[in-house]
Amino acid sequence: MKRRTWTRAVIQVCVALFFLFCVILPILRMLARITPEGFRTMVSSPQFLPAVRHSVTTGLTATVLTLVLAFAAAWCLERVPIRGKAVFSTLFVLPMLIPSISHAFGLVTLFGANGFLTNLLGLRGSIYGFWGIVAGSVMYSFPVAFLMFAGILQYEDGTQYQAATVLGIPKLRQFTGITLPYMKKTLLSAFFAVFTMIVTDYGVPLTVGGKVRTLSTLMYTEAAAKTNYDGGSVIGAFLLLPAIVAFVIDLLNPERGQGAYVSDPVSPSGGAFAKVAAYAYSVCVGLAVLLPVGAFGLIMFERKYPVDPSFTMEHIRTSLNRGAGTYLLHSLLYALLAGVFGTLLAFVCAYLTARAKGAFSKGIHLISITSMSIPGLVLGLSYVIFFHSSPIYGTVLLIALANSMHFFASPYLMMYQTLGKVNPDLEDVGLTLGVGRLHVVKDVILPKVRFTMLEMFTYFFVNSMMTISAVSFLAPPSPKPVALMLSQFSDQLLTEQAAFVSLLILGVNLALKVVGNLLRRRARA
Amino acid sequence: MDVQLNDKLVIESISKGYKGNPAVLKDISFTVRDGEFLSLLGPSGCGKTTLLRILIGLLPADSGKISKDGRDITALPPDKRGMGIVFQNYALFENMTVRQNVEYALKLHKLPKAEVRERSEHMLEAVGLADQSRKYPRALSGGQQQRVAIARTLALNPDVVLFDEPMSALDVATRLSMRTELKQLQAKFGTTMLYVTHDQEEAFALSDRIMILDRGEISQLDTPERIASEPANEYVRSFVLDNLQAKVDSLARFIRRGGGAS
Repeated sequence: MKRRTWTRAVIQVCVALFFLFCVILPILRMLARITPEGFRTMVSSPQFLPAVRHSVTTGLTATVLTLVLAFAAAWCLERVPIRGKAVFSTLFVLPMLIPSISHAFGLVTLFGANGFLTNLLGLRGSIYGFWGIVAGSVMYSFPVAFLMFAGILQYEDGTQYQAATVLGIPKLRQFTGITLPYMKKTLLSAFFAVFTMIVTDYGVPLTVGGKVRTLSTLMYTEAAAKTNYDGGSVIGAFLLLPAIVAFVIDLLNPERGQGAYVSDPVSPSGGAFAKVAAYAYSVCVGLAVLLPVGAFGLIMFERKYPVDPSFTMEHIRTSLNRGAGTYLLHSLLYALLAGVFGTLLAFVCAYLTARAKGAFSKGIHLISITSMSIPGLVLGLSYVIFFHSSPIYGTVLLIALANSMHFFASPYLMMYQTLGKVNPDLEDVGLTLGVGRLHVVKDVILPKVRFTMLEMFTYFFVNSMMTISAVSFLAPPSPKPVALMLSQFSDQLLTEQAAFVSLLILGVNLALKVVGNLLRRRARA
Repeated sequence: MDVQLNDKLVIESISKGYKGNPAVLKDISFTVRDGEFLSLLGPSGCGKTTLLRILIGLLPADSGKISKDGRDITALPPDKRGMGIVFQNYALFENMTVRQNVEYALKLHKLPKAEVRERSEHMLEAVGLADQSRKYPRALSGGQQQRVAIARTLALNPDVVLFDEPMSALDVATRLSMRTELKQLQAKFGTTMLYVTHDQEEAFALSDRIMILDRGEISQLDTPERIASEPANEYVRSFVLDNLQAKVDSLARFIRRGGGAS
């Protein structure tokens, strides 16, 4: 018994120290850089207040649009009996596999001065500016909201609707009286998740923002490009605000009972009109997802769209000469390291909080979900400041570490929920049979949760391939990841090469997803 | 307390409390005789599962002492107590076959291969699952899963087995047949059994003696016959006897109306 408590204490202390040195202290160190003087200088600079205004207005507009569009999409697939549900739901999450900045390039390719749709439809006006930021932000935050809504709609209990129908309550009243209250918490979480995601991203506003500069672009140019860390820290503190608000609201709204019992899921229903409308809407969304990807595929092989449409490998060759191949290898290495390390760490933490309850596990749980709300730019800046004189600065390790922390919360929650559903008495049975906890974990629990592990690994990997936020601070002295080429291309307006690199990243991520699905299918067969 | 020859477990002054509930168990003392079937009967929240977890060593008591065969086992880890437990939800290892479930612990204890196989075959035979040994738990019925859990526990030769509401997830017909099987297993292996339940009928049908728990205290510990004829207090009368009587009455009415004749 003594030895067991010892092992556990050692693991707990290690995890606690890890979070202390990899999250809490770096962030505090960054905040400690803010002086009243530096604060005044930054806040009174002519760019600052307009940037705040732009962040709030583009953020709110894009968030509301995303939520409405994603809710409609989730509703069409979950509540209306339409064909091709599997195809649509795969298409709808495809945007999650390319970097945010690629979506901005997609907009330029379609709606720029010489864009496909600009020429085809004879459009006027410019994509650069407020609506460009909104459109790009909607495109890449859509899948996140869609997944949240589809998930919650799937697990709603259908018996209440059956009862309501028997009582003669009209459909609209059922929606406002049953569905919306049921979804309140998810709507709120989705709102904050999407808003934080949009406001803290700099890829889209950097590329299609034009003269409209947001807080995130300001932070990128001030801190990453001009290395003004003091000013960057002030903006970083502002970018932490929505996350803090979201966190407090989350704490005030206790979680609904885990795995609420569903006696009868809601079955899709609707007449011919509903089906046609749902189908048409799904096709439109699917097209909106596929169009930029298709356009990328075209322009990277054309000499200069629309002036010279002749076939060329020139753009690909130039990209490769600029190091796209080597950078891709770097990215694969970062993604692999973050995938392995992040998955292991997230498993250990989730195990401690889900199956070895105590005061300690509550703290770890809180820190784990809080890490979600730390914007990548802020994490990156805090790491530069905190690890600058440490031996891992400028190495592969620091970037892998930053990625593991940056994307920690979602995989952690995946495992936390999975482990919560695993029979709670397994370890106890083991103890009474003389089989230690570690054996039970290795021989019984890990085999059971292996697909969640795979999903976690994929999440870390895919996001590490795409991220340009934290690494934009950490990469300069380290081997550069391929996604960072995109922010360079954005400065130089090299759309064709950006298209190639975006598709390269999409290809890798898609391949991993496909392999994962094949493995899962084979195991089920 | 003097240890008599046929005392298997002697429990002395066990108390346990939690933050929100300071007195889950209040100074519980009793003796379990060798080879007997003792039921712990009480409503949800009376402390019976807590008591069971303390006896097996999964939960430390705040105070008190547990002895087995005259030896103090209070501080021993669960696997060193020579006891086994069968949980309400079976807690089978789902990624292992029936046979692997039974053999897993034996193998980790480094028993010789031949002995591992012999024991598992013997156990699966005893619970009537010899022909299901290659199946995975998900392919079995609830009653069969329960039997795997029992075989897995008995394979380690414990002389005391604890059951934590083992039949609450089974349908009525399976429950009735499991009762018989459990008694047969006990006769075969001579195991002392402690059986937690909230079902009065089950306790009366199975037990040599019944311990009735009420809010962390023992209301009465006696044979079913004595409890029926001399209930110790009002609680025993209402919770146990009146409930049983109500069941009997409704059945009697049903039979009188000819409901059972068709």
